[in-house]
Amino acid sequence: MIRVAAVAAALVLFVLPQITAPIPVVLAAGVIGLVLAATGMATLWRWPGTAAACIFVTDYALALWVGGPSVGVVEAAGFGLALLVLLQSLELARCARHATVDAGVVRSLIVGWTGFAAATMAIAMLIMALARGMAAAIPFAAAPLVAAACALGVVLALAVALSTARA
Amino acid sequence: MTGRVTPLGVSLLTVAAWAVSLAVLSARPELFVAALPLVLVLGMAALKRSAPDYSVVHQVSAARVIEGESVWVTVTVTARSAVPLMELVEVLPRDDGLGSGRSRALVALRAGQTTSYRYEVRGVRGAHDVGTVVVRARDRWGVRAWERRHVDRKVVRVYPRIAPLRSLPRPLHTQTSVGDYVSAALGEGIEPGDVRQFAPGDRLRQVNWRVSLRLGTLYVTQHHRERNADVVLMLDTLTEVGLARESTLDLGVRAAASLAAAYLARKDRVGLITYGGTIDSVKPAAGQIQYERLADTLLRASVVFTYVSKDLAFVPPSVLPSHALVVAVTPLLDPRFTKATLDLAARGFDVVVIVVSPVDVTRSVLRGSLADELACRLWALERRARLDEFRRHGIVVLEWHPADSLELALAGQGRRRARPVAAG
Repeated sequence: MIRVAAVAAALVLFVLPQITAPIPVVLAAGVIGLVLAATGMATLWRWPGTAAACIFVTDYALALWVGGPSVGVVEAAGFGLALLVLLQSLELARCARHATVDAGVVRSLIVGWTGFAAATMAIAMLIMALARGMAAAIPFAAAPLVAAACALGVVLALAVALSTARA
Repeated sequence: MTGRVTPLGVSLLTVAAWAVSLAVLSARPELFVAALPLVLVLGMAALKRSAPDYSVVHQVSAARVIEGESVWVTVTVTARSAVPLMELVEVLPRDDGLGSGRSRALVALRAGQTTSYRYEVRGVRGAHDVGTVVVRARDRWGVRAWERRHVDRKVVRVYPRIAPLRSLPRPLHTQTSVGDYVSAALGEGIEPGDVRQFAPGDRLRQVNWRVSLRLGTLYVTQHHRERNADVVLMLDTLTEVGLARESTLDLGVRAAASLAAAYLARKDRVGLITYGGTIDSVKPAAGQIQYERLADTLLRASVVFTYVSKDLAFVPPSVLPSHALVVAVTPLLDPRFTKATLDLAARGFDVVVIVVSPVDVTRSVLRGSLADELACRLWALERRARLDEFRRHGIVVLEWHPADSLELALAGQGRRRARPVAAG
């Protein structure tokens, strides 16, 4: 069951860029991602899963860059959720190897993913609505700098918060 | 209990950082949205810092079993706060055979919920420490983990399997206590011996009426005394061949345990010397408690490699009483054990050597090619010559082929031991 979730997530991550921009380069990158994901599922090593996720993100970025200016928030949020499901299910498959898995594990996982997906969609819509409002206030020339600073700030804040938090 | 970020957390952070970097470089907001679930998960993990509250109870179905029997281990977890995901791993001794079930479990618990899992372990000889459970509780997204080692130490003793024996090597000398051996000396007993004329002090019940009536005067029947013997089992732990659980040492331990049980049933006093890298000994004594002592020593018997020649002079004299029957159980692979056995025979001990054939044990693990078979046959010939050398020293040598029963090997002992033994 856990590996089925990983396979489904990998397929979503492969298919979404192909729909956005069906060109050979995107297809090739997607296949590399699939191979890495399959390696991760077969061997239960961590690095192929992480590498596959990065390749899929690159593939999606390439597809968006080639594809045009239209913005699909739902697809993007779905892509992000698929990334989360892929990495989490690979880690769970690793934990479940040679183990007795309680039925409650899969049940709580499905419930958790469903609730989180709904919450993520709502938050994504809210953020996009807020972003459209704020975009008018930020000068065009400063927008890339603001975006880069925000991105760096979020990643650094998360890294610091995770590394310093102790129970 | 300290929480730490799991490798999954690092993976999520890496992918999120890569996605937002690409979003900035490509100026596409979709990539920010794609990174959003990962960022939210990491953010929630960074905010929630309380460790889950739970308790683990570890139970073992039996503390003492015989080789090959099963022990059921039950692990029960009770959560006082919700535990979204918990990994439990029981640290098992390396050589333990896992039967049905698994020693690892993955559970999810609500607050107040209790769950348990059980698995079967087929014991191999030895005293095994069980009860160490490593518990790794994770948060809902698996980003943060709290690890704890629950030690509820329990010792499971797996005793060697014993086979019933009837044809035991008879001792040449007996001791003074009552036992099952008919002594040549006359006295109290039930085995009729000589008939002599009645003398003052003889009991009326000793009168042999048939002889008395025929000869016209009173005659009494004398009886042979029934005595016990001191038996010292000497187990070779210098070296072994064969696969685990069926090595020459494992077979030797089973043989020694079977001999100990059989001699103790005959009211003999039985002692033990494990002769190897370390010398362990048990003083001869009789009774069921003595079997427990011997079995406890036998279940610990293992090969401890050493270049040092062990001397039996280190063995206390109380462990090797004079006139004791020494039964050496060995594959006869190490010359140091051969020397020790010959030394005992030279010191006047009554020595019987039971040789666990290493050729058969080795043959059973080989592929059975022509070259293997030839090598085994040559080895068997060489060993036969070595055993004959023992016999020339007057030592009784019994070769045990593990495919056959030990009883069969003991039944082949020389007639020298069939006559009644001399009084000690």
